Amino acid sequence: MKKKLLAVTLVTAMTVSMAACGGSDSGSGDSGSSDGKVSFTIFNSKSEIQEYLEEAVEKYNEENDVDIEVYYSNDTVAAHLSTKYASNDPYALAMTDAKDIYSLGVEYGYDMSGAAWVDDTDYAITVDGKVLGFPTCIEARGILYNADAIKEITGEDFDPDSIKTLDDFDDFCAELVKGGMEAPTAILKPDWSLGAHYLQQVYEEREDVDGFVDSLYAGTADLNNDEKFNALMDTFDVLMKYNAFASGPISAEDEMVHQKMSEGEVAFQFGGCWEWNDLVDYDYTGNIGLMPVPQNIEDAYTGYLVGGGSKYFYIDNSEYTTDEQRAAAMDFLEWFASAEDAQTLVSDTCGMISPFNSNTVECSNDLGKSVKEYVDAGKLVPNYDYDPDDHYSKVGAYMQEYLAGQIDRDELADKIEEYWASATPVEH
Amino acid sequence: MNTNTMSYKTKQFMMFAGLTTFAFAAVVIIPFIYGLYLTFTSWDGVSREKPFVGFANYASTFADGAYWQALGRTFIYSIIAVILVNVVAFILAFLVTSGVKGQNFFRAGFFIPNLIGGIVLGYIWKFVFNRAFVSLGEALSAGALSTSWLATSGGAMLCLIIVSVWQYAGYMMLIYVAGFMSVSADVLEAARIDGCTNTQSIIHISIPLMTSSFVQCLFLTITRCFMVYDVNLSLTNGEPFNSSVMAAMHVYNQAFTYKNYGTGQAEALILFIVCAVVGVLQVYVGKKAEVSA
Amino acid sequence: MDDLNERAARNRKIKHAVFIVLLIVLFVCFIFPFILVLINVFKTKADITSDPLALIGSHGFTLKNFPEAMEKMNFWNSFANSAFITIISTILTILLASMAAYVIVRNKWKACGALFGLMVASMVIPFQVLMIPLVSLYGGVLGLLSHRATLIFMHIGFSVSMATFMFHGAIHTNVPLSLEEAGTIDGCSRWQIYWKIVFPLLKPTIATVAIIDAMAFWNDYLLPSLVLAKKELYTIPIATQVFYGTYSTDIGLVMAALLLAMLPILILYLFLQRYIVEGVTSGAVK
Repeated sequence: MKKKLLAVTLVTAMTVSMAACGGSDSGSGDSGSSDGKVSFTIFNSKSEIQEYLEEAVEKYNEENDVDIEVYYSNDTVAAHLSTKYASNDPYALAMTDAKDIYSLGVEYGYDMSGAAWVDDTDYAITVDGKVLGFPTCIEARGILYNADAIKEITGEDFDPDSIKTLDDFDDFCAELVKGGMEAPTAILKPDWSLGAHYLQQVYEEREDVDGFVDSLYAGTADLNNDEKFNALMDTFDVLMKYNAFASGPISAEDEMVHQKMSEGEVAFQFGGCWEWNDLVDYDYTGNIGLMPVPQNIEDAYTGYLVGGGSKYFYIDNSEYTTDEQRAAAMDFLEWFASAEDAQTLVSDTCGMISPFNSNTVECSNDLGKSVKEYVDAGKLVPNYDYDPDDHYSKVGAYMQEYLAGQIDRDELADKIEEYWASATPVEH
Repeated sequence: MNTNTMSYKTKQFMMFAGLTTFAFAAVVIIPFIYGLYLTFTSWDGVSREKPFVGFANYASTFADGAYWQALGRTFIYSIIAVILVNVVAFILAFLVTSGVKGQNFFRAGFFIPNLIGGIVLGYIWKFVFNRAFVSLGEALSAGALSTSWLATSGGAMLCLIIVSVWQYAGYMMLIYVAGFMSVSADVLEAARIDGCTNTQSIIHISIPLMTSSFVQCLFLTITRCFMVYDVNLSLTNGEPFNSSVMAAMHVYNQAFTYKNYGTGQAEALILFIVCAVVGVLQVYVGKKAEVSA
Repeated sequence: MDDLNERAARNRKIKHAVFIVLLIVLFVCFIFPFILVLINVFKTKADITSDPLALIGSHGFTLKNFPEAMEKMNFWNSFANSAFITIISTILTILLASMAAYVIVRNKWKACGALFGLMVASMVIPFQVLMIPLVSLYGGVLGLLSHRATLIFMHIGFSVSMATFMFHGAIHTNVPLSLEEAGTIDGCSRWQIYWKIVFPLLKPTIATVAIIDAMAFWNDYLLPSLVLAKKELYTIPIATQVFYGTYSTDIGLVMAALLLAMLPILILYLFLQRYIVEGVTSGAVK
């Protein structure tokens, strides 16, 4: 009987304690306003700014008497938001990629037309006359160069404009090798870099992008004989020729590439301005910049970087977010676009390029400074944001096979064509 | 007291298993049924709309070549991993019950990998394969180590198997240790007096008496290997060239990354059926063996 | 005869020596990854990337990874959450599952067969199948997410199958019916028989289930990350995971976070392992 008593007591004690802790939890429920303050949550999907954003929001909370919390998740953005919607607990303000705004924002996005920041930028996402996406920054892709590493070999200041064509680039790399740099390039191997960033340029750098993608869907495009595809793959071949990780291109972890780049062991790497944070923590040499991908054809895109607005906020319009929260989120975005503190946060602390004209704070990121020049000169090829969701993973895998030398260019072209022909077109 | 009435049975059942049944049904069965329903919709995972589409998702599952490839790969991986895990675990259990000095210390040591979650394990091993082995290979100029094993398709599978063996062997060892312990010392002593060697008594006495340990361990390893996800995600993430995507990872990607929730759910269901058939078959065969032993 | 004994003794000695060498080799293989973490946690990011095997990096020995990782993970808060959830879930799972296993083993009722069958089958349900339906139900319909109690309830729901399965085997083989019959003759009710006779006999299995479930609860990431959507409720795996995502480029910090995540359970285990192993052995022999 003693045992029974013990068990019953134990269970009762636990039930009580559970109820007690359950009770204490419910105090911080999802009511739009607790203690008279409006409270809401922000989802940030740009991991490198999480720390700074949290600090800034803390300060914002004090100054504006609101209660905002910033969350980050390691899961896929879509999976994470999907669980939040399934549990009727969406973020009032969520940062996603541009393509998610077209799929998710159309159903759940709140129309932000009329907000003052809308007139201050060229990069907001508008669908059917509704302003749904707030741009966080401008990002661009190209070839990263380490000017210090180059100067060490050549003895002269590096002028990225001196490299116009692929032949120039090839000769220059050969010169570096002769000067003692064993391998002047490094290649990031993740599927998003090879698929969604490098190969993507084949679609983006042409006049009729939609027409070309349609022909891919229809299976009529002929990549083997496509000028742009061949030009970019020629460049890729040269990058592969001088690759510092040529013996094991697929085992080169991102950090290993970044360390070599940062410390000047290699001179060139395909990438984008967001890599800044990954580069500076090593024994950084001090002068890194971004230049266009050199190609052996001359067209309207020669001398351009590829990029545009990146990482978009949308405000949730579902019944689980109150009007009060939406208004507070609108205020926050206005602050994020135009307040002095926020502009410093964006351009200086986080080193991002602000998409807002009124932001004149200098970008603290060397790569960002390069990008800014191209933005100001209007030399940016716009991003194509309507790939099918599995594009980067599938096509990125083909690019990896090419990088590892397992397939040749014809096979690569065939595989990419095959992929597109079987994909479901994305409406936009 | 009449123990054969309905009310007695109900009372007894509720008293002992009521809460368990409730928790189990509420957490597993009901969501499962709802999930079953979702396989008949073309839901994208987020939208409010869940259009009913009948068996369309099952049709696209059968047409999804990548899924069947992943499932085939999972089979190969599971067969090798299950065998190795159990062989290693059995040997470990034998060694740590053989009466050597410090066997408790070793028992504790081999169980350590289980103290850490699959995701963290994956990150640690990724570091080992990509960095530690490679710099070791460079230092020793040993060709096989100088490039990361994770960079080739076969190598990535090998790495997954190594990590699985490392992760599960200690756990299964514990079950085998309990099995060895339950073989009564009297029986073994009698065998020794009858002139059995150690090897003979293991093969003819211990192993048959440990059938239930084997059934348990095999069932656990088979189901775990078939559903491997955490380590797959953090160790290889499907790379290189999507050649190490196991079934569960494909399902997750299909549902969330590619936003075909219904299809992903249908594929997961088929994975479940495959697991269940293999698992139950194994238990059934094992129980038969137990009875005949 | 003496000679024979001597030879047997020598053989045994040789055998033991071989076993010990074998065990040590295997042991090193098993803990090698942990040693690696331990080495690298005291180095800076640049040193780890350039030479992961060096004992001390060129930038010297550093301790700064720890306080930084602890602060950013909100370590003590996550630790308290993890400990609370793990302890309560484990105790309840053991009590409930062993009771259910008992009624299932000792009765040939249809309900028992059905429950056990479903439980065994459920062990092979991939969690991804239940993920969205689970949050739809508990978040969308019932509004119960973001409570520790909900997570404890779900942990129990998910783990009872396996625990019941293990207790089922143990009761089946290790609890003699004759003992129970003696109890009945002495006038004990089923409930009393269970607590006085059966439950104490299950000690080794209780120890095993306790370790296995406690580890599973402590380390679980996916389920808690779905249920506990608030920062103040984060458990250690969620904190580690969020941390890994945010600071994945700072590998020194990540190493410290990994070490911190496994340290508490490691210490507990090293402290308890003697009792655990004793529990397993003493119970099993009887």
